[in-house]
Amino acid sequence: MSDLIKITIDGRDTLVRRDTTILQAATDLGIEIPTLCHHPALEPYGACRLCTVEVTRNGRSRLVTSCNYPIREGIEVRTASDRVVRGRKMIVELLWTRCPDAAIFQKLAAEYGLEKPRFEPQEGELCYLCGLCVRICDEMVGAKAISFVGRGIDREVGTPFFKVSEACIACGACEFVCPTGAIKVTDVTDKPVRPLLLDFDMGLRGRGNIYIPFPQAVPNVPVIDRDHCLHFQADACGVCEVFCPPDAIDYDQEDEFVEVDIGAVIVATGFDPFDATQKPEFGYGHYPNVISGLEFERLASASGPTAGKIKLNGKEPKEIVFVHCVGSRDKLEGEEYCSRICCMYTAKQAHLAHDKIPGAKITVFYMDVRAFGKGFEEFYDRVRAEGIIYRRGNPSEIYKRGDKLIVRAEDTLLGKTIEVPADLVVLATGVQPRADANQVATMLELEFSADGFFAEAHPELRPVDTQRPGIYLAGTCQAPKDIPDTVAQAKAAAGRAIVELSRLRRERETA
Amino acid sequence: MSQQVQRVEHPGDLARLRETLQAQRGAEKACLAICAGTGCQAYGVNRVIEAFRQELDQRGMADQVEVLATGCPGFCERGPLVTVKPDGIFYQRVQVDDVSEIVETTLVGGQVVDRLLYEDPNTGQKIVHEEDVPFYKLQQREILWINGLLDPTRIEDYIALGGYEALTKALSSMTPDEVIEAVKKSGLRGRGGAGFPTGRKWEGCRQASGEPKYVICNADEGDPGAFMDRAVLEGNPHSVLEGMIIGAYAIGSQTGYIYVRNEYPLAVENAAKAVKAARAYGLLGENITGSGFDFDIQIRRGGGAFVCGESSALMQSLQGDVGEPQAKYVRSVEKGLWDQPTALNNVETWANVPLIIGKGWEWYAATGTEGSKGTKIFSLVGKINNTGLVEVPMGVTLRQIIFDIGGGIPEGKQFKAVQTGGPSGGCLPEDMLDLPVDFDELSKAGSMMGSGGMIVMDESTCMVDIARYFLDFLKEESCGKCVPCREGIARSLEILDRICAGQGRAEDIPLLEELAETLEGFSLCALGQTAANPVLSTLKYFRNEYEAHIHEHRCPAGVCKPLIEYWIDPDLCAGCGACTRVCPEQSIEGENKAPHVLNKARCIKCGACYDVCRFQAIVIRSGEIQPQIEAES
Repeated sequence: MSDLIKITIDGRDTLVRRDTTILQAATDLGIEIPTLCHHPALEPYGACRLCTVEVTRNGRSRLVTSCNYPIREGIEVRTASDRVVRGRKMIVELLWTRCPDAAIFQKLAAEYGLEKPRFEPQEGELCYLCGLCVRICDEMVGAKAISFVGRGIDREVGTPFFKVSEACIACGACEFVCPTGAIKVTDVTDKPVRPLLLDFDMGLRGRGNIYIPFPQAVPNVPVIDRDHCLHFQADACGVCEVFCPPDAIDYDQEDEFVEVDIGAVIVATGFDPFDATQKPEFGYGHYPNVISGLEFERLASASGPTAGKIKLNGKEPKEIVFVHCVGSRDKLEGEEYCSRICCMYTAKQAHLAHDKIPGAKITVFYMDVRAFGKGFEEFYDRVRAEGIIYRRGNPSEIYKRGDKLIVRAEDTLLGKTIEVPADLVVLATGVQPRADANQVATMLELEFSADGFFAEAHPELRPVDTQRPGIYLAGTCQAPKDIPDTVAQAKAAAGRAIVELSRLRRERETA
Repeated sequence: MSQQVQRVEHPGDLARLRETLQAQRGAEKACLAICAGTGCQAYGVNRVIEAFRQELDQRGMADQVEVLATGCPGFCERGPLVTVKPDGIFYQRVQVDDVSEIVETTLVGGQVVDRLLYEDPNTGQKIVHEEDVPFYKLQQREILWINGLLDPTRIEDYIALGGYEALTKALSSMTPDEVIEAVKKSGLRGRGGAGFPTGRKWEGCRQASGEPKYVICNADEGDPGAFMDRAVLEGNPHSVLEGMIIGAYAIGSQTGYIYVRNEYPLAVENAAKAVKAARAYGLLGENITGSGFDFDIQIRRGGGAFVCGESSALMQSLQGDVGEPQAKYVRSVEKGLWDQPTALNNVETWANVPLIIGKGWEWYAATGTEGSKGTKIFSLVGKINNTGLVEVPMGVTLRQIIFDIGGGIPEGKQFKAVQTGGPSGGCLPEDMLDLPVDFDELSKAGSMMGSGGMIVMDESTCMVDIARYFLDFLKEESCGKCVPCREGIARSLEILDRICAGQGRAEDIPLLEELAETLEGFSLCALGQTAANPVLSTLKYFRNEYEAHIHEHRCPAGVCKPLIEYWIDPDLCAGCGACTRVCPEQSIEGENKAPHVLNKARCIKCGACYDVCRFQAIVIRSGEIQPQIEAES
């Protein structure tokens, strides 16, 4: 097959496929041709003209756009001849004049040695009419919710009659693909735009339709959210497939059921955090600056959504209140038991807040402080010594006054009702059995103890066994516990499993 | 007319039909041929025609005299035009009031109405017969001649005059390849502007793989001041249809489209009637003249975007998409309308085809120059005595067209430039007037043939302002898709605006040239690629005017308002007071019969006084120091 043809690019001979473009061929050779309206997943458009190159064919030379000029045998391409560079420079200058505030042109202008445009710059314009938004909506989404409106210098991107588009599915592709941030999906539709949020970051960070669920995920590869993916929902798009160089995208991949023979099972299914909306007096879910302990954990994490800066909506709180025992030791709402972790994680978080926000006023409301573990009491003392105020009392209400939250409680040591203003309230939400624990219990024939966690065979003598031989418990599926206790129990369960496996092997060998 | 027509089932049928029709017409029958083209309609010719019909009815002469509402013969300057046949007495600027006199004197009395005759401005001689009018005499009207002889809504008129003869000849005695060969040998080049050899285009389309194939007639004439295609399509639509059918036969196409702008209502109407009539006669549709060849034409109306005259944008528009030009690296003869092989030609090109086939390519190729054959219609407008359509053989000089046929510049003013090729063309100065008009010569001179618009400018035209005018037009009409065209034209226009306002900078001319280079090399379609031509050609031939604007803040032609002022020459002012009455700002004062004085501070430079002054006492001055007479207060 002579599907490969020979062309010359900037003096270098190369064999290329007949159906490729000069732009692609040059990129493959590592020769950069600038583009402003090209997108590998979209049909070539040829509107920005920046990718223009000089092509010599049969002794005649002409300027063509490298994105859509059909490759022909024996052509000689010059990607940066004087003529080409002069024209590109003028195009950059023209677009920079149009969109003086767009970073992309400021950068290009610097590259082409332009100090300031020789024409009167326009104000406030960001759209340079590359048409990526219009074309992705047409070619990939298939909605055709936006198009070009008007002619000549009056051309602009818009919805039909500049009214809210019925055709728009609020997918946000236009906004995503726009190189200058000129288009917002809210310009197109009044349908609610629900950003996809990353569960691992407690919804404090958005994610794409393709994402890695959390760091150290196993396997650590991206997944496609089929419930929101345009390709699965509307049989459109498919951009990712075009982009992925090793062709790893497989839309046909399905979940698999794998059957394995095993000799022992360790149940380590964990817990659910208490849902603080069940205590409406705290305003969780109503006030954006009332958050749960887990949410604070992500805020304070260096790999979290704010890169470790404690900020809500870009603002750093100056007054922070922590509330203990939200959903624990509570006979009315939540659980009767102590969740065992909240006292210490609150102490840690209060310490972090003090550390990260100099001068922050931090108050902790508590019933009792249970600092039972090794080194816990010392840490608690240290935190208090840092100036964090511990007040004994369980808040009765959190409400808004002005732009502050007011935490109202009885200080049971003073016997007085107090109100503490706060920019941020962190609820120390407790530990609950998993909502789906029943399914696991039915499948494995496990029993529950009175608190709803899986029951161990004997609370003192067989703390990791269950009533079923070969099935063991580890971690918070059995009862609330902190990390050291969880690790200890997990190791014990592993040890029990090894005993069981050895017994089975010996039985088989002697049988 | 709802009479049953006899379908042409065989080539011989058409010849018989022609004989019958000719016999019915009667060569000696008196006839009033009245131009009913758009130009004469604007002069009110419809009322004139109605008046003639009533007058003839009242006198009981309706049976003896036929009133023929014809297509445009081209002499628009002198409309409404009436020719009394068979003698060929030519009356011009005929109004309703003249009707009864013409009937009484000429039709009844056999005398000529002297006052309605055309008077040669050069000799002062009255000319009786149409064929002696110099405007017509000096032309070679191969296409336009027939416009004045037929009613464009009656296919029978066209057939009686030999119409569709070329079609039957092609279908019955020529193979498609022979037709293409004949068109190739004729040297016909596209009349739309680019001048691509038509035969080669057809051959490419015939050889291209893919079915169906399409033929398109581009009737989206949009150049300011150009109306050749309108006159042909509304004045003789069947010549276009005949050309298209022959072309379709040569290419192997079954479907054709006429893309006509909706601003040409008469052309749309007449073309639609023509298609219907041709179908009724079996000249269009299935099994044309019994040859087994099927072809039909649909009419599509354009919304009036100039860029839709560009072939790829036109095809987009035809498909129902936005009319935006596409990359043309693959020619439309291979991938055109709906990505199928498509042959698109302009109205005038199609109208030339029956001539080539009917009279033979040898006859056709005998007219014209080495590289450009046949005749070309120009619409002569602007500062010219004989506004109208002019059909001349390729190779005549601009001087012949403008001075011999066009009658030169009105009011004895000096010729300054002629703009050819529409907004994409260029302005040529006086010393280029002896340039023979053909595709290659005009391109070499920095202009282009274009579709045939020819705008004549006199000494009172500012060339910077003209360049500005064309760029302003193109700014609105660019589709806006590609950056150089959209932004480049707008920025060029800003610079020209600035120059015309007297704020030009020394670096403006090189900057214009730089923009022009980018427009030419980097634009997507021909609109942008040629958009700089008005600037470049005026810079080439009239650079001194730019320099006067920029360096001396002076508009030599006295056009650019910020650079001029009006002044009353006290030696010439008779103090008649005409100017004081028209001045909207009361800026002219003076005693009766004494020289008046214009208060410059209040003058808005509207030019009303200038137009009204009978003594040429109002003078436009630019950049000159002038004596001031203070108004006495």
